[in-house]
Amino acid sequence: MVSRNDRYSVLGTRQPKLDAPLKATGRSQFTDDIILPGMLHGKIVRNSIPRGKILTIDTSKAEQLPGVKAVITHKDSNGMMVGPDQQLLCNETVNYVGDEIAAVAAVDEDTAAEAAELITVEYEPLQPLFSMEEAAAEGAPILHEYFQDNYADEIKIQFGDPDKAFSESEYIRVDTYTSHPTHNCFAEQHIAIADYSLPDKLVIWTPSQSATLIQNSLAQAFDISGSKVRILNLNTGGAFSGRGVARPHHFIAALLSRKAARPVKIICAADEEFLVCRSGGKNRFTFKTGVKKDGTLKVIEADFLHDCGAYIETQFIMLRIIGANLQLLYKLDAMRYRGKLVYTNNRPYFFHHGGGIVPMRFAFGTHLDRIAQDLGLDPVEIRLKNAVDKGYTTPGKVHFASCGLKECIKKASRKAGWKKKYGKLPSYRGIGIGCGVINSGGKTVFDHDTSGAFLKIGEDGKISLFTGLPDMGQGSHTTMAMIAAETLGISADDITVVSGDSDVDPIDTGAFGQRGTFTAGNAVKIACLDAKRQLVKTASKKLGVKPSALIFRDRKVYLKGTPEKAVPFEEVVYDTLHSLEGRYVMGRGFYNPPADPTDPTTFEGSGALAFSFGAQIAEVEVDPETGIVRLLKMTVAHDVGRAINPLAIEGQLDGQVFSAMSQTLFEECVMEKGQVLNASRLEYKLPRPFEVPEIAHIIVETNDPYGPFGAKEVGEGPIVCTSQAIANAVNNAIGYPITEFPITPERVLQALRQKSKGQRETP
Amino acid sequence: MRLPHFEYVKPATLEEGLKVLHQSGNKARILAGGTDLLVNMKYRVVRPEIVMGIKSLPELCTVSSGSNGSVTIGSCVTLTDLAKNSLIAENYPALKLATTSIASKHIRNMGTIGGNVCLTTRCWYYNQSKLWRDGREVCHKAGGTVCHAIKGSTRCHAINNSDTIPVLIVLNATMVLKKKGSERLIPSKEFFRDDGIRYTVLEPDEILTALLLPESSGDSYITFIKVCSRKGLDFAWGSIAASVTGSNGKCTQASLVLSSIASAPLVLKKTSQVIIEGGLSEQSIEKAVETARSELGILTNLFTSAGYKRDLSQVLVKRALGELQGQMKKERRTKA
Amino acid sequence: MKQIITLKVNGDTHQVAVSPWHTLLEVLRDQLGLTGTKRSCGMGTCGVCTVIMDGKAILSCLTLAFECEGHEITTIEGISGEGTLHPIQKSFIENGAIQCGFCTPGIIMSAKALLDENPHPDDEQIREALSGTFCRCTGHIKTVEAVKKVSASYGKGKNDGE
Repeated sequence: MVSRNDRYSVLGTRQPKLDAPLKATGRSQFTDDIILPGMLHGKIVRNSIPRGKILTIDTSKAEQLPGVKAVITHKDSNGMMVGPDQQLLCNETVNYVGDEIAAVAAVDEDTAAEAAELITVEYEPLQPLFSMEEAAAEGAPILHEYFQDNYADEIKIQFGDPDKAFSESEYIRVDTYTSHPTHNCFAEQHIAIADYSLPDKLVIWTPSQSATLIQNSLAQAFDISGSKVRILNLNTGGAFSGRGVARPHHFIAALLSRKAARPVKIICAADEEFLVCRSGGKNRFTFKTGVKKDGTLKVIEADFLHDCGAYIETQFIMLRIIGANLQLLYKLDAMRYRGKLVYTNNRPYFFHHGGGIVPMRFAFGTHLDRIAQDLGLDPVEIRLKNAVDKGYTTPGKVHFASCGLKECIKKASRKAGWKKKYGKLPSYRGIGIGCGVINSGGKTVFDHDTSGAFLKIGEDGKISLFTGLPDMGQGSHTTMAMIAAETLGISADDITVVSGDSDVDPIDTGAFGQRGTFTAGNAVKIACLDAKRQLVKTASKKLGVKPSALIFRDRKVYLKGTPEKAVPFEEVVYDTLHSLEGRYVMGRGFYNPPADPTDPTTFEGSGALAFSFGAQIAEVEVDPETGIVRLLKMTVAHDVGRAINPLAIEGQLDGQVFSAMSQTLFEECVMEKGQVLNASRLEYKLPRPFEVPEIAHIIVETNDPYGPFGAKEVGEGPIVCTSQAIANAVNNAIGYPITEFPITPERVLQALRQKSKGQRETP
Repeated sequence: MRLPHFEYVKPATLEEGLKVLHQSGNKARILAGGTDLLVNMKYRVVRPEIVMGIKSLPELCTVSSGSNGSVTIGSCVTLTDLAKNSLIAENYPALKLATTSIASKHIRNMGTIGGNVCLTTRCWYYNQSKLWRDGREVCHKAGGTVCHAIKGSTRCHAINNSDTIPVLIVLNATMVLKKKGSERLIPSKEFFRDDGIRYTVLEPDEILTALLLPESSGDSYITFIKVCSRKGLDFAWGSIAASVTGSNGKCTQASLVLSSIASAPLVLKKTSQVIIEGGLSEQSIEKAVETARSELGILTNLFTSAGYKRDLSQVLVKRALGELQGQMKKERRTKA
Repeated sequence: MKQIITLKVNGDTHQVAVSPWHTLLEVLRDQLGLTGTKRSCGMGTCGVCTVIMDGKAILSCLTLAFECEGHEITTIEGISGEGTLHPIQKSFIENGAIQCGFCTPGIIMSAKALLDENPHPDDEQIREALSGTFCRCTGHIKTVEAVKKVSASYGKGKNDGE
């Protein structure tokens, strides 16, 4: 529950999403709902072996099939690269099952599928590598010939003096954890419609987290300027970190459209989804942590190995995000981190909802619990002892202007009844805690993190608010409208959010890095203040008072203390236009957090001004015979800075707890020879209504000095807390640590067997 | 994913349908609920030239009772209608329980009891699209010569995931199979074959038209347990139907059948014998659980590891016998 | 060869030319322009394509159009009145049960089929009805809550947890 602050008339209210009625009636348009005149249907021909040399590609039969209007191979792509190591349409080697080789566009989907089947490719198979260890071993075949080894990227970060900190430690523990590949499984499948039928403009309809990044990639690939590419994102059916950048199907749709001189739609079928998704891969986390005997943390040394899959794409971001996050949660003297991405012939990976931090925090959170256990300390107490505070600066020079971590830990543990339950539950019932932190935006992609906003106010006082920030369901547009409504003293219902057309939208890097509320929200507030200044002139004249004495609230404008003498907001707007000046009120603003970007050499600083914090307590029940874990209850506390829309925040907490529970207990792409064995939404286990736990929400407000009205992100912070809480609860229930993620029934039974044999814990 | 092209036939009567099958040979497949066949057609593992819709044939859509207390279930009765049917609910509650455990409500609204009995066996290496399968040698079930589930095996090990089958066997149901000009009755125990490809005795020109259930016995106890990843949607990782006849801990009859473990339902004969000889004492149940493991045969790593299947089978036997023991103690019969 | 079939959708009768392999979902979207029902997995696992046929929630991606003649089909477009929303739609909006919205029509139709048959389902029955659908965004928490609130608004009757 959030206590309403009467200072605000809009913020803190439970505002239903403004676009919900359209979605509830099926009227919301998604990309698949669009039909364009003359539109063709595209189908991509994908490779079916994990690694090989292409000998021949024969498209002749496909070209002759009636109804086929374009066939493309690498010859049509002019050597287009979609990554430093990735040719769009392969002509020499294929590197994973699903690599794009050719594509067709035809009058309907069935003809396109038939034509795709007629394209034949001959390969000479090459030895594939599926495990990171195999690929990293000396003498392993080099998967990308222009590299010297199979490391796609490496990063080393060090703050402070780790060796000194280890020498001062009174207890040191080393643990290794493994997490397995996942799939983001959003409801709307990968899709793009491209219209490049006229040479002056490439238009793409696609769901996306960032029109800017897709626009940039396509412009670069086609060697045209950014404004020649128009991205239309009507609605996005889920993203979960999987729709941030242009993917091969975007480029391919554009090439087909150019060749056929007609729009082309490509939608990925259910089987392709497990090939084109970009989600978490296999990760190995090794932690060596030094502490004092009273539990004070001194130093963390982390060695991480990540399966890159066949191509690096944007995975270098993950190494940096994970490395940066390590030092943010607990006070440390020093930190050393080495992260490596290793090429294999699995599908290219990325991360799934949570910046790659979810599995890392699962690993560190359970490692910390084992340290606590070894030292005879309570897991809640060890976290409270080491938790960062407001005003703290990390060894890597990240400063926290607001921090509700301790408040979250205390409130969550109190509400969950931690003291009554920890160590006192019946057999096979467990309780566990997890804590997390994540940045609200940051300069990870560009040197700036700018969002812009425009608004125009109609004569009737209604607003059109323009933002480039997409809404993938998280409610960002409603949040922007509420910020605008609060600033202008009107209602969120008075605002139409205009977004989803890169020709119209102001700049926005996109909905990733948890930047929406903080950065775009600030831009919206600045734009509204700009508009307000124009109205203030009119209102102060109308009411005969000083501008500084005016209040804008509840669709009225009045002298502070005299709401009974208010004039309606729309009257002020009307009078502003219908004046000698004839001013049509428009507002504009942009916001770029005034923080230095992370130093590219030392990795000091974070480019972010605000961070959200959370603590969660999980309660589980384990069936020791089947190994099935039932998550009974989650107590979720999160520091959101300011709760702009508690209804949406609860939705975020619920959805992220569900997603993390799913990743912790259910989701795993079972890989064999570079293929997903359980490649369907039936066999890839995603929980449903019966698996949902009871969830208690605690919203903590710390009023961040930089956030719009003090608000910070809530889009990914909660999810990084959940997995470790559940894992710690399971470990508490069975009395033996599980070091692989997800915690499947088989892994639970294996742990119980090891425990009964008196086997030492697996390091 | 889209369906391949085919001709659709909708016979007005069962007889007409049987004629079509007779003439079509292997080119035709019957379509009832569509939740199994159409999925496999989208995967392109099955590409019939003719699809014959039988769901609306009135002869196949009723549940009726016979003068001898038996019940006849038409093969195209939907799973939802079967579960709601009062004859079934009152007389064969274990069958109702198994039926309501199948998939989701949506699928039960469409799927039929005949479809569940004849459910295609499943395998990670087979139930995949052509794109997926093209990367590997063709398996036995897809017309090739290898088994990916058990390397080197000369037969198919695809798994039978039907939830109603174990209950039907324990209830001594009989299958009515018809083809043009003839009919045969096959006891449910003999209907299934331990082969991932020919997993029932149904011929290509035959239709399973009905299930005959003998009159429910007043002196037996029965239970059904399904273990799966998620409630309300999944195929089982393992399921069991078990029944005993007896009193005061002694049993004159016992029947235990596992499903979702292998290509055919596993009738645990030796395990049943242990219960007949030893009754439902703790000792006897323990011995039965141990014996069950020896009856499992070769198991695959499909969907779960072979080891997990073995462990789970024993857990299912233990829990089913424990449940029956509890029922018998309370003399609370679930009619069998 | 296409055949003309007659479909009754949302109370209206349509003559459409279809091939045997066309699913109800494809006909609804591509021929009748009823794009409110979305397509996703196409394999019966996600419930996104749920419509109501003769009062029962079914998966239109696994239903042949040919087999829909003579049946009453209702899609998301057919449940709201003129200018008014169905109580289920209102409840989903007011209770934050909609995020990206892609799965929303399928979940609402599943809920409608349930409540039309049983206006006062218990918690288990609601979860059972929605288990055939999949919502990655909400995690099914507010969707179940929204259905409970509609049921409660239907007047007295047992309703678990309310």
